[in-house]
This record gives sequence, structure tokens and C-alpha cells, in this order.
Amino acid sequence: MSMKKNYVVETIRRAQMVEMLSRGQRADGRALDQPRPLSIEVGLIQKANGSARVRLGNTDVIAGVKIATGTPFPDTPDKGLLVVNAELLPLASPYAEPGPPSEEAIELARVVDRGIRESEMVDLTKLCLIEGKSVVTVFVDCNVMNVDGNLFDATSYAVVAALRTAKMKKYKVEGDKVVATEENIPVPVERTPISVTMARIGDTLVVDPNSEEEVLMDVRITITTDDEGNVCASQKGEASTISPAQVLEAADTSIRVGKQIRAQILEATK
Amino acid sequence: MESKKKLMDDNGKRLDGRLWDELRPISLEVGVLKNADGSAHIEWGKNKITAAVYGPKEVHPKHQVLPDRALLRARYHMAPFSVDERKNPAPSRREIEISKVIREALQPAVIVEDYPRTAIEVWVEVLQSDGGSRVAGITAASLALADAGINMRDMVVGCSCGLIGETVVADLDDTEDKEGNGDMPVAIMPNFGLVTLLQVDGIYTRANFQKAFELAIEKGKQIYGMQREALTKRFFGGEPTTTQVEEAAE
Amino acid sequence: MIPGDVIARGNHQYGGYIEKRGDEYIALRVGLAEVGRDGVKLNPMTGPYMPRAEDEVIGKVVDLNGFGWVVDINSCFDGFLPASFVFGREFSPSTHDLSSKFKVGDIIGARIESYERSRDPQLSIRGQGYGKVESGEIAKISPTKVPRLIGRRGAMINMLSEKTGCDIRVGQNGVVVVNGPPEGIVKVLKTIKMIEEEAHAADLMTKIEEYLGGATGGE
Repeated sequence: MSMKKNYVVETIRRAQMVEMLSRGQRADGRALDQPRPLSIEVGLIQKANGSARVRLGNTDVIAGVKIATGTPFPDTPDKGLLVVNAELLPLASPYAEPGPPSEEAIELARVVDRGIRESEMVDLTKLCLIEGKSVVTVFVDCNVMNVDGNLFDATSYAVVAALRTAKMKKYKVEGDKVVATEENIPVPVERTPISVTMARIGDTLVVDPNSEEEVLMDVRITITTDDEGNVCASQKGEASTISPAQVLEAADTSIRVGKQIRAQILEATK
Repeated sequence: MESKKKLMDDNGKRLDGRLWDELRPISLEVGVLKNADGSAHIEWGKNKITAAVYGPKEVHPKHQVLPDRALLRARYHMAPFSVDERKNPAPSRREIEISKVIREALQPAVIVEDYPRTAIEVWVEVLQSDGGSRVAGITAASLALADAGINMRDMVVGCSCGLIGETVVADLDDTEDKEGNGDMPVAIMPNFGLVTLLQVDGIYTRANFQKAFELAIEKGKQIYGMQREALTKRFFGGEPTTTQVEEAAE
Repeated sequence: MIPGDVIARGNHQYGGYIEKRGDEYIALRVGLAEVGRDGVKLNPMTGPYMPRAEDEVIGKVVDLNGFGWVVDINSCFDGFLPASFVFGREFSPSTHDLSSKFKVGDIIGARIESYERSRDPQLSIRGQGYGKVESGEIAKISPTKVPRLIGRRGAMINMLSEKTGCDIRVGQNGVVVVNGPPEGIVKVLKTIKMIEEEAHAADLMTKIEEYLGGATGGE
């Protein structure tokens, strides 16, 4: 899917937004570091091992977890596999088209994947069945249903919520074969990485940009933190620069805002 | 017959308790996505399908433009998590065929001549699939087209019927489709009474063929009533559905 | 009415969004039907803006090329404002700089000069009040609801304007520009939303009058 970036913000509107930002306000009334209302629904796809639908403002993403068995990578014979995929569905935006994933969709999937993988949210060693031969593969597929900015965070929260509530069959090893038992166990999840994306418009960093703000932004930065406040992943996007001071400011904001969002997600996925 | 015994007991009850001519629970909602020009969501048994319409809009690539009518496009796509075994997101041959039959099921109803040189795009996304997803998708797509305000001669509605053993049954779920003896998705324009989609697999006696076919049409008309309710709820706040005919004020 | 419904039978005059089949008049859209002395009418509740000659529209410049401005008029086709309409017949790309007049992102009020089905609609800004819109809050309403927003002989729009102290400009294409005091603008936007969501309600006018009826400046 590709997203043609050809939405033009009216000059009048742009001027209004920039003027408001200089006063520390955003066009939709939010504070600079305030994300939009977040709603999380889990377990909506019963055929999936785990699922979550996240609405961040009007951005709407569904993540579904499917479990299978597979062969491990040769260099990590004792680790299960985690595959994170994202599709920017054509129904999500007038600018999205069907077809093989665009560079934006691929970046989205990989950034979300990195946040999950680097934080070690899923302990892949617990997914080993027969070392070197058979491991559990966890697929997390994300469907973007409506685009209104900040796909990174919405998709990431959906993946986290889906993984936290995912169940799998317990596998038994019988000789050289792997057998699924009837017992359901949770997918082994250790921690809750939370990404917070900021956009810089002019000289101001705003948290959780909507579509309009993304058109105006010069630079985007996503920072993922874990439960201990460690930074575990980051991505700077768009073809402009960001100063070191702003990067550090962004890290602090991400830790702070990430905490609130983590609390919400933990509550919704108890 | 072995399969009949599993899928239907001696009292004619199916695995989920339904009798031969009962539909699974269906719920419809119109206007579920913000960006799409029109949208609808259907839950039909365990099926969960969202349909969206964009258009009329410019045609890309330009060389495909039709000078005297809209180009209608449809895509049926299943989410990887929509089925028991995770499905690769790339379109399968099955999805490509279903996309085509869905387009051909909707096209007779859409007045494409009113929108020359444009494209009208219909996206059917299956979030969870459990038998009869194409007719559910068509039913939702028709609502999405009406929601978008595209001129239509009629609505389009579908239902699938088939065989369990030698018994004609309405609305097969996934298990019944896989292990039963035949499936027949049918879509109609209910006011015209004309068929816009028909696919058959299985072996039907002449009598059963007619029975299944007519049952699908009868059930389709029932579901059309639900489409009306859903549109009425969305646009008229759920006020009575009987014809809104008023004398002009002056 | 939903698409496919029979509105009336017999022999009538009939308007848009209706098809005559035999002696039946069939609705082609979701809408409210009227049968009266003027014939059979359908007021659609939803649908795109299809360009019509003489319509006043409010658009956004999205591109410039050698010969004019490409304008997003909230329709399936972009409008085109020829440079020669603005600069005159002596216009030539080498001597006239298009962006000196309108830039990408500018909002303009224009009229649809002509619309032939074989090419994009042509716009013109000749006439009073057309041209660049310098300021205001921009809102959108479904084009099918524009008649409701304007009201019979302007009744609704005039009342709205008076009660809020705002200048309200409505394009047939569903784009609205509002200028005025901030509290007034809020009321106008809310009213637009009410019309959008409840155009079918018989008591809509009353609801709006009540909402606006609260003290305005000068009461």
C-alpha cells in the first residue's frame, strides 16, 4: 500500500496552527505533550490467538496474533520467532492504494517490530520446543483501518495489547515430535514497551500528531521506552534535521507520557 | 451419511443448534470509518467484515479511464488473522476471484453512467471469516455504496445456501462449508428480483438445486430488510422506515 | 427512502436522484421523498459534489502549472482556473508569475464557468466577491446538506449570520468559510454540525433557533 503525501493544508489554517503553537496550544485544544483519547478493545477476533483494536483519536488499528510452529533461524536455534507485519489498508485513507507495501508501510512495520523485539517483550527463549528443530512462531499482523496521523504509536499499542492478551496451546515434546495439548497458556510476555511519537512543527515538539499536524511537521521522532524507563528503540523520520537538545527533550517526554499510556494499556489488558 | 450425522443430528439440529432454514445472527452498522466516503460493518455469525467505498474519484492509472462511465473496482481481502491458520497477507488466487465476482455482483446496481471518467472503489476487508464471507461482504459493500451516496438502481444483498448430506440448508458456516456437501452463494437486487452473483459447488439434484437457490433468494430478501433498518438508523435516526412521503410545503 | 424504493406511482414531474421505471418513480439514493404539486422529489442525505456550471464554490489551490491553477473543489475532479481568466488575454507564462496571484494552499471563492464531461471543470473569478479568501475558519458540510444550511431564500444562513455576528460564506461544494468573533464562530460550527447530523429532523429549525436563541451581543 502506498500513501501519496499530497494533502495540502490551507495557508490560512497553517497560519492559525503555527500561531496557536507559539502560544503553546494546538488546533484541537490539546496541550503540546498531550496524546489524543486512547481506546483499547481486546479479544475482538476470536479466531486469532490474541487481538486488539486501538483508537488513538481517529486513527484506528487492529492487531491480530496467530501462533504456529516453525523452524528456528540457524544462528538462534533456541529462540522462537516473532514476525510483525503492518498493512496500510486502502480503506484507511483516500491516499492509500492496494499493492505491495510501500516504504512507509514497511518502515511502520519495522519500527513497531523493533520496539517489541529490542525491549524483549516476548521472551523468545520460552518459545523453543526442540532446539534447532522446532520453535513457536508468533505472528502479529496489523490492519490500519483509518488514518489520522501517528500510525506508529497506534499500531504499536495495538501490538502490545494483542500480545498481552494472547493465548496459545501448550506444546508437548514427544520424542522428536511436537504436539499441541488442549491446555491454553498465555503467550510469554515480560514487559510493556510503549512508543511515543512526536512531531516538530516550526520549533515546537508536539506529542501524537494528527494528520494535519503531520503535513506541517518537519521532523518526526518516535521513542520507545520500557517499564523501567529505559529507551529501547527510536526512529527519526522525515527529511529534515533535529537538534541533540530536542532529541533529549523527546526522550524525557516519551518516558513521562509513556508511563501514562502504559498504565492505560495495562489496565485494559489485565 | 457420515458427514450428515456430524453436522446435523436426527432432530435436524445443526452443530450450532440451528434448524435447516435458520440464519446465523446478523448485525449491520453503517458509517463506521471516518475517512472513507461510505462504509459499513457486518457481523454474520462469526464473520466480521468491514466494507468501505471511496469515490467517485480520479482514475489512477490514467490510461484506465472510461470516457462515459465510472470504473468500478472491488477488492476482497482477508486479514492474516481472520482464519484458523494464519494467512499470508499477499492476495491469493481465491481472493482475486472473489474480488472479481463481488465487483460483478455490485456493478448492475451502481449507475456508473452518472460518473464518467471516475473510479469508484470498494474495499472489503475480512477481519474474521467463518463461511459465507463473500455474500456478507457484498451485503456490507452495498450499504457502504449507499452511505457514500452513489446512485444505485437497487441494493444488493446476498446469502449462501447449500447441502448437508441431501438436506438443503441455509447459511453454511465454515465447518458446514468444509465438511458439508455443497455451497451456493447467491446475491440479488431485491426489488428487481435479479441475480447478480451465483456460484455453485457440490452435487445437487434438480429439486435440491431449486430449493437451495430459492431459499437463498428468500433469505436474501429478509437480510435486505436489515439493510434498510441499518440505513434508516444511520440517516434518519432510527425513525420509522415506511416511505417518507410528505406533501411539499408549498 | 433507500436506493431501489418506490416513491410514487402514476404520472408526475420528477427531479434528480430519481429514475422512472414504467409508472414507478424509484429512489436512487438514501433520502427524504416529497410528493406534491411540483412533482416527485428526493432530497438526498448523502453524496459527492458533482460540479455544475454557475455554482459558486470555495476551493483550495493545490497545484500550479504553466497555464493556471489546479483547485481542489471537494469533488471527484479538481477545478482549473486558467491564468488567462485572471491576468487577461496578454497572459504568457514567461511574463506572468502565477504564484504572485495565488499560491498553493490559498483558498479562493470561484464560480464554475463550465463543466463538460470530457474534461475538468473550469473556474472563473470574474465578479464581485470572488478571488482569494484572506481569513476565516474553514468547515465542511456534506454537499447534499448545503440547501438546508442556506435555507429557503437564505432564511437559515441569514439567521445564523445575524445571531452570531459572523460572515458566513457557503460554497455549493460543501466548503464553508466563517469570519467573526470567536464565540460566534463556535456557534456557527456547531450549527453546521447539527444540520449535518440531523437534516432529516422535522424540528431542526426549532432546535437551532433554541441553540442560537441564547443572548448574543447586543441583545
